Amino acid sequence: MFELFKEKASALMAEVYSFKNRKEALEFIKGFIKENTSSEDKKSVVWYDTWFLDGERKEDLLADLPQITFEFTPEIASQAKIGINEVDGAIAESGSLIEVSNHIQKRLVSSLPEIHIAILPKSRIFPDLKTALRSFNLTNTPYVTLISGPSRTADIERVLTIGVHGPERVIIVCVENL
Amino acid sequence: MLKEEIKKALEHPVISKALTNFYEAYVVAREKAYTGLDFEEIRNEIVRVKSYAAEHFDELIKKFTEQATKRGAKVFYTKDPKEVINYVLEVAKAHNVKTIVKSKSMATEEIHLNKHLQEAGIAVYETDLGEWIIQLAGQRPSHMVLPAIHLTRYEVSDIFTKKVDAVEPDIKKMVKFARKNLRDKFLKADLGITGANIAVAETGSIVIFTNEGNARLVLTLPKVHIAVVGIEKLVDKLEDIDPIVKALPRNATAQPITTYVSFITGKREHWDGTKKEVHIILFDNGRSEMAKDPVFKEALQCIRCASCLNVCPVFRLISGLVFGRVYTGGIGTILTVWTEGLKATKDIQNLCIQCGNCVKICPGKINIPDLILEIRRRLAEEEGLPLKVKAIYSVVNNRKLFHTALRMASKLQKPFKQGPFIRHLPLAFAELTQERSLPAIADKPFRDQVKKIKQPEGKEKVAFFAGCLIDFAYPEIGEALVKLLNRAGIRVIFPQEQTCCGAPALYNGVMDVAANNMLQNLKALEQENPDFILSACPTCTLVLKKKGLLALRNQKVSPELIAKAEKMAEKVIDASYFIHKLIKEGRITFSKPLEEEFTYHDPCHLKRSLNIWQEPRESLQKAGLKLKEMFESDICCGMGGSYSLKFPEISVKILERKLKNIQDTGANLVCTDCPGCIMQIRGGADKKGLAFKVKHSLEVLAERL
Ligand code: SF4
Ligand code: SF4
Repeated sequence: MFELFKEKASALMAEVYSFKNRKEALEFIKGFIKENTSSEDKKSVVWYDTWFLDGERKEDLLADLPQITFEFTPEIASQAKIGINEVDGAIAESGSLIEVSNHIQKRLVSSLPEIHIAILPKSRIFPDLKTALRSFNLTNTPYVTLISGPSRTADIERVLTIGVHGPERVIIVCVENL
Repeated sequence: MLKEEIKKALEHPVISKALTNFYEAYVVAREKAYTGLDFEEIRNEIVRVKSYAAEHFDELIKKFTEQATKRGAKVFYTKDPKEVINYVLEVAKAHNVKTIVKSKSMATEEIHLNKHLQEAGIAVYETDLGEWIIQLAGQRPSHMVLPAIHLTRYEVSDIFTKKVDAVEPDIKKMVKFARKNLRDKFLKADLGITGANIAVAETGSIVIFTNEGNARLVLTLPKVHIAVVGIEKLVDKLEDIDPIVKALPRNATAQPITTYVSFITGKREHWDGTKKEVHIILFDNGRSEMAKDPVFKEALQCIRCASCLNVCPVFRLISGLVFGRVYTGGIGTILTVWTEGLKATKDIQNLCIQCGNCVKICPGKINIPDLILEIRRRLAEEEGLPLKVKAIYSVVNNRKLFHTALRMASKLQKPFKQGPFIRHLPLAFAELTQERSLPAIADKPFRDQVKKIKQPEGKEKVAFFAGCLIDFAYPEIGEALVKLLNRAGIRVIFPQEQTCCGAPALYNGVMDVAANNMLQNLKALEQENPDFILSACPTCTLVLKKKGLLALRNQKVSPELIAKAEKMAEKVIDASYFIHKLIKEGRITFSKPLEEEFTYHDPCHLKRSLNIWQEPRESLQKAGLKLKEMFESDICCGMGGSYSLKFPEISVKILERKLKNIQDTGANLVCTDCPGCIMQIRGGADKKGLAFKVKHSLEVLAERL
């Protein structure tokens, strides 16, 4: 299932990485942040975290990477280069992520910054839309989005251009053992 | 007026080139996007889901309202466009709204909402890139999904520079420019307005598709959200969205999935911790009336993918700009009947050439040409026909008069005739011969010539229905058919009382004349009780076999006559099919299988209405010819019966493309099975002095016996 998901998501220009455990995934994310932002650039990384960093000392992370902020307004998220959140599932058939956001902050990080890093538990990849829809109780969830690759437009001369209103890069960090 | 708009569009330096380039890439990419999926299965599902919804609007509106209200949204249903405007204005007032961001919503365009909001002093920003460009330029969208396809990067850069700020004509830079400028508006806006692609009754959810991500920001950033949703967007169950999620992006832009598919269910929180206000306006504007119409309810199966526009040979020349309405193209014409009234479609409904190219691609399985025909019929009924048209049909309605007129025309044409063609006509008729020569009317119609052919005595006998063009312009096609049938030992009878098949009247909505033609032919053809009735013109075949029955039913002729007509219809076969069968059975063989290259043009009605396309190719190959397929062999040649008289400027443009596609094959012979297509293609080739021959397949086959 992961292979199919990876193939489909990559075809949509998402970048898919897979890690054995949380630690490896975190190392990758840290490295990515270092490579793409500078520690001088305050608040250039907005992170909406609910479980991924459980057990980590956020203070240490912030000391290492002061450009991260866990609290932000839409204006801040709009200025940020990278937004990080956990997504709730994925669809192999179409290469889509499923983002269930009860919390608006979760949505801000995936819609406003230039790069979206989505943390995806490998066990949450569904074969198709129908199965996925069955396992999400939409009636309890005010906002769900299927995200399939970066934001795109072809409105000028039909030339495909990436990154119009949403992120221009979508990095999917798939974690196996949680 | 329409004619001027057409002229402007045809002379436009970008429109048809951009639409044609897009179309060519689209056809291939769409095919690829469907690999591994069964399009027929998906569209059957869509038809099931959408037609169920249309039959249960009242129930679904109630269910949706209950479910969405329970979850904190405010739902308002109305039939009246004015009430939508007032509702939005009131919400805006209550929240002291200064700035609105919008993501694309056709329903709001139907009621010109932006205009009303701006008049109330509110700034409204369209945020879909194409829509924003169009809004800044103060223009109309040229295409439902590609609103700015008629503009070049240079024009877009001009528009931006004039209306917003200076930017180079570099696409990447202009996209960034839009991101930056609109981001500001998103963050400041007090109200977000969206449409919806689907509304799910079971959960009270609305589903919105965007590629750019603008709808997500419209939904997320302002404190108040209003969705204006046409009730045709309703489906019953959540799982009903599956076929739409699959087909919409594939058919619209050949993408496997739209980048963002957002589900909104009830009230959600605002970023400052307060609750957001969510209003959903379920908008009717004629849709529930449409659902009650036995013919037009089919159009509620539309998912607004615009693929019917992409593949329409007329639309890709003139774009949506010519239509001057919110909804454009064939489906737009149909929707306009309900949003603006039948009369509003009076001119634009003529633009459909009835080629049927849209039918095979429509994920809602809507028969657009048939519905347009119904518009024509209703218009003719309600508005009556112009006097000139009436006079013509009163002649066609009377066989003797009609045939006498044709014989007279044969004598009158003398001064203009050059060989088999009329190349120029004087004054008022000149337009007809500007880009294509017309066939001269034969000195002796087929009905006279056939009397001299000695028929075999065999048991089998078929009746030949010639149709006007073969009878009076191309009798040699009739002779070829007789020769082929005789070779197989089949006797051909030609009932002299046969007349025009009724297609010209039928395709112009004049049902009484069409029904009358049908009855005359029925009487003539059944007299000698033939085994089969053959026609070598697919339009005649289609009328005798299917469409004419509709005309009879429409005119409420007696059930006995209809039963008789149905029995006759069963015997009607297109000659191309029948001859192929005889060849396959070895009853026709070729003693002169001359090797020659040919290319084949598929007549619209033969391929898409009668599903015959392999047969004539096989017959010709059996006769020793070598097939060189042309690009777009099944795209219309631009003839369309009287269409070429109504819109010669469009007809000729379609023809030019066909001629080029033929030339590109390098073949010196193009075969087809429709005298109308022959008239069009031969006429165009003669005018342009092109060397290839245009022949009916039957002629080519008969030459090789
Ligand atoms: S009529 Fe069919 S093809 Fe045209 S927009 Fe509607 S669903 Fe698409
Ligand atoms: S039938 Fe042909 S001309 Fe008419 S709307 Fe469809 S594609 Fe266009």
